[in-house]
Amino acid sequence: MAVLQEYKCPCCGGAIAFDSAIQKMKCPYCDTEFEMETLKNYDSELKNDLKEDMRWESAAGADWREGEAEGLRSYVCKSCGGEIVGDENTAAASCPFCGNPVVMMGQFSGALKPDYVIPFKLDKKAAKEALIKHYSGKRLLPKVFKDENHIDEVKGIYVPFWIFDADAEANIRYKATRVRAWSDSTYNYTETSFFSVFRGGNIAFEHVPVDGSEKMPDDLMESIEPFDFSEAVDFQTAYLAGYFADKYDVDAEQSIIRANERIKTSTANAFANTVQGYASVTPETTGIRLINGQTKYALYPVWLLNTTWNGKKYTFAMNGQTGKLAGDLPLDKSAYKKWLFGLTGIASAVAFAACYLFWLL
Amino acid sequence: MKLMKKLFSVLFALLLCTIAFIPSFAESDLSRIADYADLLTESEESTLLSKLDEISIRQEADIVVVTTYSLDGKTPMEYADDFYDYNGYGFGENRDGVLLLISMEDSDWWISTCGYGITAVTDAGIEYISDKFLSDLSDGEYAKAFSTYAELCDEFFTQAKTGKPYDVGNMPKEPFKFVSRIAGSLVFGFAVALFVTGSMKRRLQSVRFQSYANSYVKENSMNVTESRDLFLYSQVTRHEKPKQTSGSDTHTSSSGSTHGGGGGKF
Repeated sequence: MAVLQEYKCPCCGGAIAFDSAIQKMKCPYCDTEFEMETLKNYDSELKNDLKEDMRWESAAGADWREGEAEGLRSYVCKSCGGEIVGDENTAAASCPFCGNPVVMMGQFSGALKPDYVIPFKLDKKAAKEALIKHYSGKRLLPKVFKDENHIDEVKGIYVPFWIFDADAEANIRYKATRVRAWSDSTYNYTETSFFSVFRGGNIAFEHVPVDGSEKMPDDLMESIEPFDFSEAVDFQTAYLAGYFADKYDVDAEQSIIRANERIKTSTANAFANTVQGYASVTPETTGIRLINGQTKYALYPVWLLNTTWNGKKYTFAMNGQTGKLAGDLPLDKSAYKKWLFGLTGIASAVAFAACYLFWLL
Repeated sequence: MKLMKKLFSVLFALLLCTIAFIPSFAESDLSRIADYADLLTESEESTLLSKLDEISIRQEADIVVVTTYSLDGKTPMEYADDFYDYNGYGFGENRDGVLLLISMEDSDWWISTCGYGITAVTDAGIEYISDKFLSDLSDGEYAKAFSTYAELCDEFFTQAKTGKPYDVGNMPKEPFKFVSRIAGSLVFGFAVALFVTGSMKRRLQSVRFQSYANSYVKENSMNVTESRDLFLYSQVTRHEKPKQTSGSDTHTSSSGSTHGGGGGKF
């Protein structure tokens, strides 16, 4: 059962949204602020109230051809009666007609209810500023890209993440060498000593996130890590008001593979760092056993910025908690050539002058 | 009468001087080229000989070239030293001179130095000189190689007379190699430019998978419970130090005279 949830201001009836600056709900019309706790109670009140008349409109009209509506869901806005079309994973959006933030309650019911949410800390303005900063200091970025840059869309999205904990038990054997050199009057001596080094122990990881949304590129999501889980709070739909949200469509079993991959690499790395004082260290046998703890489902705040240039779409993502922004930028080929040849010229001239001076001395 | 006596004594002294000097030119029984292997044409031989003679007399040290088919079972060093000693080469008491031996048997070359030649042409000097003529020697350009050898010996003796013979740390200055230096600089410059623009290019890319989960390590959760460092074995290798000794190593030849020298294959 899918229900559309809007948060209305108890004072004036206007649609209210989560304000990242004050970490509270705020009515944009009458400036009333509400504690999240209040909303939580209000939330459940509303649920009781609205259960009966909140219905999910399954198909909008009979003229959809078969398969066309697949993956789409439409909702009726409670404020203006407009039709909101989202995909099957859309969990929070805003009404395209009246702009009121809506939350699709059905996407968070039962097993789909996230355990935690990290509320947005940074707003749209911060995201735009971060993008401009992202452009600076990059000499090979086409100037036109910077100048003509129209951000098509800035969206605050709660991205579904699977959160994994793991205790890693490691038993690693390394082959290590130590090199000593000395010399007498006629010979230089090198002594290479070979060691078998063993390290065993354990290390714990917590809250390793894995992107649970098919739509979000996994590499982009990993690029804006880390998220600080200590700021996560118990999930409440009210946090989603004013933002977009998706529910997961990659399940936990699939996601844990990626998390464990990273945990294993990190464990191997951490133990390799304890083998000190050798000239070379090569792992011979690596045994890492993982004991995964409870899996959690959380929504993490991400600002997505889209821009189109020369017919190509560029997507940037900013961590809504830390402000870390990532996104590949286009290369100015002519500037690249200029730099390449210019630098070749300068470096060659310097090298040649150095050769000549060295010869003169 | 007194005047006559004085004149005579002067003449006598002159005569003595001449006698004293003549043998030093005539000391060697052979000419300064002994081309037994017949590597040079007549005209080449005569050109080279006049060059060797001119330099030898000017520097007061015999500059000799010997070619042979066979070393007669001797080492190149022994053959060169003996050839020098038994043919009476060398100027003055110390028998100053330098001899270059080419043996076609096993493509050996050897430079034997004697007397002041040991001082003027040091071990490092032999390496330097041979470096200049070896490629010609390998190509069969014998006349050119010998002429290079003669000119360089000339240069080395001239330098030695200033009191600072060419040696380690004091080698003749090579002419500045413009073409190869420019080419080298361009390659270096291009490599630097590639490196710098590569890092500029990389700055445009910020999307990548994280291979580690280091930010999610639980604080102080790492525990090394077992830690063993077991020594297995060790290997010692030794390499001879590159010889950068200045001066010349000398040895005594079969005739009992002291020689310096060096050689190799071409």
